[in-house]
Amino acid sequence: MKMKKAASLFLTATIAASALAGCSTGNGGGKSANGETTIEFWAAPNPTQQVYWKEMAKEFEKENPKINVKVSPMKESPTSEASIQSAIAGKSAPTMSENINRGFAAQLAESKALVPLNEIEGWDKLLENRNMTDTIKTWKFSDDNQYVMPIYSNPMLFGWRIDILKEVGVDKMPATYSEVLDAAKKLKAKYPEKYVWAKPALADPTAHHRWFDFFMLYDAASGGNNFIEGKKFVAEDEAGINALQFMDDLRKEDGILTKQSTDPFENGLGIFTDLGPWTFSYWEEKFPEMKYNENFGLSLPPVPDDAKQENINTFADTKGIVIYASATEDERKAAMEFMNFVYSNPEYDLKWLETTKLPPARDDLSTNESFKAFFDKNPELKPYAEAVPNAIPSIDNAKYNELQTHIGRYAVNPIVKGEVDPEKGWNEMKKAIKEELKK
Amino acid sequence: MKKTNGTGWLFASPYLLYAIIFFAVPLIWSMYLSFTDWNLISPVYYFKGFDNFIEAVKHPGVQAAFFVTFKFMAAFVPMVIVSSLAVALVIHGLPKFKGLFLIGFFLPYLASGVVSSLIVKGLLSHNSAFNVFLRNFGIEIDWLSTPLSALLVVAAIIAWKFTGYYALILTAGFESINKDVYEAAAIDGVTPSQRFWKITLPLLYPALFTVLILSIGVSFGIFTEVYQLTGGGPNYATNTWQMEIFKQAFTNLSAGYASAVAIIASVVTFASILIIRKLLEMWGKRNGWV
Repeated sequence: MKMKKAASLFLTATIAASALAGCSTGNGGGKSANGETTIEFWAAPNPTQQVYWKEMAKEFEKENPKINVKVSPMKESPTSEASIQSAIAGKSAPTMSENINRGFAAQLAESKALVPLNEIEGWDKLLENRNMTDTIKTWKFSDDNQYVMPIYSNPMLFGWRIDILKEVGVDKMPATYSEVLDAAKKLKAKYPEKYVWAKPALADPTAHHRWFDFFMLYDAASGGNNFIEGKKFVAEDEAGINALQFMDDLRKEDGILTKQSTDPFENGLGIFTDLGPWTFSYWEEKFPEMKYNENFGLSLPPVPDDAKQENINTFADTKGIVIYASATEDERKAAMEFMNFVYSNPEYDLKWLETTKLPPARDDLSTNESFKAFFDKNPELKPYAEAVPNAIPSIDNAKYNELQTHIGRYAVNPIVKGEVDPEKGWNEMKKAIKEELKK
Repeated sequence: MKKTNGTGWLFASPYLLYAIIFFAVPLIWSMYLSFTDWNLISPVYYFKGFDNFIEAVKHPGVQAAFFVTFKFMAAFVPMVIVSSLAVALVIHGLPKFKGLFLIGFFLPYLASGVVSSLIVKGLLSHNSAFNVFLRNFGIEIDWLSTPLSALLVVAAIIAWKFTGYYALILTAGFESINKDVYEAAAIDGVTPSQRFWKITLPLLYPALFTVLILSIGVSFGIFTEVYQLTGGGPNYATNTWQMEIFKQAFTNLSAGYASAVAIIASVVTFASILIIRKLLEMWGKRNGWV
């Protein structure tokens, strides 16, 4: 009987051990007995970036036989952020990963899950070699540390359907609020069924949507003034209210459509939309008729009539590499060496650009000869390269989700629906954000 | 007797182990977390007592989730009961190929919620053929941005998905009714209405009861369709419990708070299903169906 009991226990324990072993992914990094260091790198969950990083790892290992770089795709269960959180909680975080935006990095940094990169030897050399000392300035976190090495910086631009603008008698892309409103009047007079800005997300409070509407307009109107610094709301009231007033005025001209619509810009239902460089590969496949400077053009966000017209700021959709706090000293050092290898050679940034079409976050992108041939071949990406130094990354507060949801819920969403006036919306948003920051 | 018990435990152990690892341990862990401010990542977190629960009941998202669930129930349950009853009646009346048709109706149950939501999103977009057609008659509906229509659209997709599954249960219920009863009733001269209320409904009650309880349970677990179509909006009009828990846990990284919301949701779900079940049993007993 005792034997049977023992056998049952043994069986149960074996099943439990197998089940639990299946749950573990393991870190996979570390230093082996022969002095080799293995670092685990999680690449973004898209095949293009995985191919790039695998190639970079191979090249690096050729020159650094003592360091192995294991590249694997980041899981998306249910989101890439959630899989990173699970890995950290389960103590199976990689040495480093890409695909981290500044807001998420702030959440991770607040929980001490990231290593300040500026504390690792080789950081300054990296910034200098990659020519990104200006670009990196806007990336400094409120504790004066740098937690993210930005790989690419997509200065978000607005696309205009220049063919439709011409049809309604507007020859150049509107650059100020008045010019946009004037274009709206002309558009509605000729095509009452068309809209200037057809975008359902304008009425959606989900935090990330605000990067591609409110922050583009606010960054331009405020000259790149911060919105939140650390735990302090520092946004410029006038710029914020102006941006919201612009949305309200456009709504009054019946220029905004927030109903769900399919490919409104491509179908000409709307003539103005935020565009990132990733759109063009998608268009090549799905909308080959979209041709730069033929039926669409690119511009920086419109600004208030009395604002400066050059070096206009915009929001930067940008992501980068982080090193996790669970990495050992050897792994951190090896990770920095790997980054230095990749970013000391502009050819590798060119390869990145050719593979992903995402502009590398460097100051000399539009002037460095290495990239000239690429931009000559892809003229639609040139405006993005030129705007990199003026692009502002997302806020670095760990509560960026809640804070940006308040921008939508109290200001942008009700304003585009005509439910609140811009000043009241701004003040209610401000109050909600300040309360959130106090928590 | 003891020997039999031992073998029984042995055979049950894989499931028990599974239930312990994936249900009991997470449940206890979640209960513990609901009293902390853990954010899923930080090695340091603090005990907050009942603060998370107090904050949750005051939060508009949680309050909305509570009411939205019952609104969904009010829309979804009648929709799915009527449609599955209709399908079951039609299939029950077929002379041949009942199984084939049942499989056909069951297929949406296997369809991905993401795919069906995206199809519906395209179908209801402002520039879809359907809406262009409606506009010809002066009908303009902002399907997903109007609270009532957004709720009804989500309820309709889920009803479409579950109709075949529930029709399967109801068809089995219809098939189990002895034809002799109807023949005897016909001899006695009962009207079609009496036939339905006095024979069909009482004899179908066990299957109908199962379907009712299952569909009420579904109302408490809606997520995919809401996540894909409305994100819980407009203005929390479709914000379900699962949506709120997801947002708090994985977007705002408030694992402790999300656990408190999950505990509240579990209690509300358990209590609601228990009360509704008791009411349905009382209804059945009052009419002499059980």
